[in-house]
Amino acid sequence: MLIDEEVISMIEECIDMAPLHNPPNLAGIRAINELLPEVPQVAVFDTAFHQTMPDFAYMYAIPYSLYKKYGIRRYGFHGTSHRYVSKRACDFLGLDYSKTKLITAHIGNGGSVCAVENGKSVDTSMGFTPIEGLMMGTRSGDVDLGVVTYLMEKEMIGSAAISTLFNKHSGVIGVSGISSDMREIDKAISEGNERAALALKMYEYRIKKYIGSYMAALNGADVIVFTGGVGENQTGTRQRVCESLAFMGVKIDNELNASSRGKEVLLSLPNSAVKIVVIPTDEEFMIASDTLEIINGK
Amino acid sequence: MTEEIIEAIERYGLSKRSRNRTLFSRIGVVGCGKEGSVIATTAALKGIEVVFFEPCESSINNAYSRIEEKLDKKIEHWGLTQNEKRATLSKIQGTSDYQNFAGCDFVIEAIRYDNKNGERSVDQRKEVFKKLESVLSDKAIIASNVSTVVVTELASELEHQERCIGLHFMSNTPDSNIIEIVRGLNTSDYTFDKVCQFAKAISHDFVPVMESSGLISVRLFLIQLNEACGILLEGIASVEDIDKVMTVGFGHRQGVFRTADQMGIEKVVKLLENLYDEYGNIKYKPAPVLLRLFRARHFGVSTSKGFYSYDEQGNIVK
Repeated sequence: MLIDEEVISMIEECIDMAPLHNPPNLAGIRAINELLPEVPQVAVFDTAFHQTMPDFAYMYAIPYSLYKKYGIRRYGFHGTSHRYVSKRACDFLGLDYSKTKLITAHIGNGGSVCAVENGKSVDTSMGFTPIEGLMMGTRSGDVDLGVVTYLMEKEMIGSAAISTLFNKHSGVIGVSGISSDMREIDKAISEGNERAALALKMYEYRIKKYIGSYMAALNGADVIVFTGGVGENQTGTRQRVCESLAFMGVKIDNELNASSRGKEVLLSLPNSAVKIVVIPTDEEFMIASDTLEIINGK
Repeated sequence: MTEEIIEAIERYGLSKRSRNRTLFSRIGVVGCGKEGSVIATTAALKGIEVVFFEPCESSINNAYSRIEEKLDKKIEHWGLTQNEKRATLSKIQGTSDYQNFAGCDFVIEAIRYDNKNGERSVDQRKEVFKKLESVLSDKAIIASNVSTVVVTELASELEHQERCIGLHFMSNTPDSNIIEIVRGLNTSDYTFDKVCQFAKAISHDFVPVMESSGLISVRLFLIQLNEACGILLEGIASVEDIDKVMTVGFGHRQGVFRTADQMGIEKVVKLLENLYDEYGNIKYKPAPVLLRLFRARHFGVSTSKGFYSYDEQGNIVK
């Protein structure tokens, strides 16, 4: 989208939904407006790829009137990344993107899993805000809503603090009490830290559950894609998640996996029912090519 | 082959020296006591650079610890992370030299109340205004955190009186995000509009108030407190029960007595006397209960005793 005043105020209105992302983006837009007022700016929304989700996947089971009134539904995020890696995985494997079912796991400090069918996102783990779904570096991911209201009452805190609690004090850092960085978690585990080990187990278990559920949503998948900081580099996480999916024919080449970091690689064994690939994400490329298209008025 | 184009980035103003400064990128606070530290912390949390003035190193250090305490409280209540605390603290700089306000486009005077008599000297505050005028640019706004003193009087000896304005932060109720913005007789529209923008920049609501003693908040609160003291004196209900009716029944965040203890009884008495001097109405005479506490130096949270008793953390001891 070409950025104008209307787009800026739209992004402003959405600050509540993405408190970690929208304010710095706006600051960037404003800085460029001030420094290079003549240069057109383009916003590529991370939710765009998920607009193809069917209604039964994006709706929440809350009063329909609230969907109409506030647009409360699941939007999903990391769309730019899921779009890039799903397409790139097909190119890399020589598959037809329009006839392939993929599960893409963008896992890093923030994380989401996406079910892609024939080039279209049909479900994803993030929802109305980027907090739903996987356990993340500082975000809780899925949590019983009862916990939210209970905590607000017990800790006597309002909406701003409860949002900070679930967005910034939770996830891996909240459980481990050490860090949101998986490298530091690994180090702490090697030193025998139990909470760090628990955080990692929870983190991986949640990824497994989402891949499993999207396997059902897609009625089986052809490819599982790992991307993002953890997906591209944490060989242990990839191995444990894939091994735990062995019941459905997922077979990973452990030796190759252990030596593969940050590069495109096919990790599944030839007899695996599902192909496993690592595709380093390139959101910048997607954004640049989208920008070019928009500027050229296509 | 594609030709590589290398352009110096400085010409786009990205170097620090030539960068266009946005409004309120740096503000000043004179006096970093209870109220000043609330203002400094609130602005720094919104990414604004803050310079605060305290007369000596030890008072600067006290102010830093006061600010840190506020941020720690936010962390304790899940409203902030350690990283955000560090970032906020890095935006705040203490000084004992007015020259360091040079370059600020907005300075708020918030010198403390005297511990003994609850007064904020008008002469001293006029002096602050004059010192600020000597170091600030002509367009910079000078504000005072006022409640009963009129800003026109504080600005009376300045060359550019149009840039002076009053603000009233309600620092006694935690997270009360509203400011009363007080126009003096000579305050320009430009100054008023800019201060409204400042309120928005720090995510505060605001109400314009005509210059008057007690504004809305202080005048209404003190009358309520005086009446509550009357109810207490007549033996109609206890301190706790009167506060309970206001909190549970009317949805107030904290009762009148608790608020008075937080403000400081010495200030409350002084503010009431100011209102009585200004309006001459008997309803503003401090209630006998207040005077009794004042004379006993039971100033509230600050002395651990007021309408309630308090522990070191300021929690009510039952």
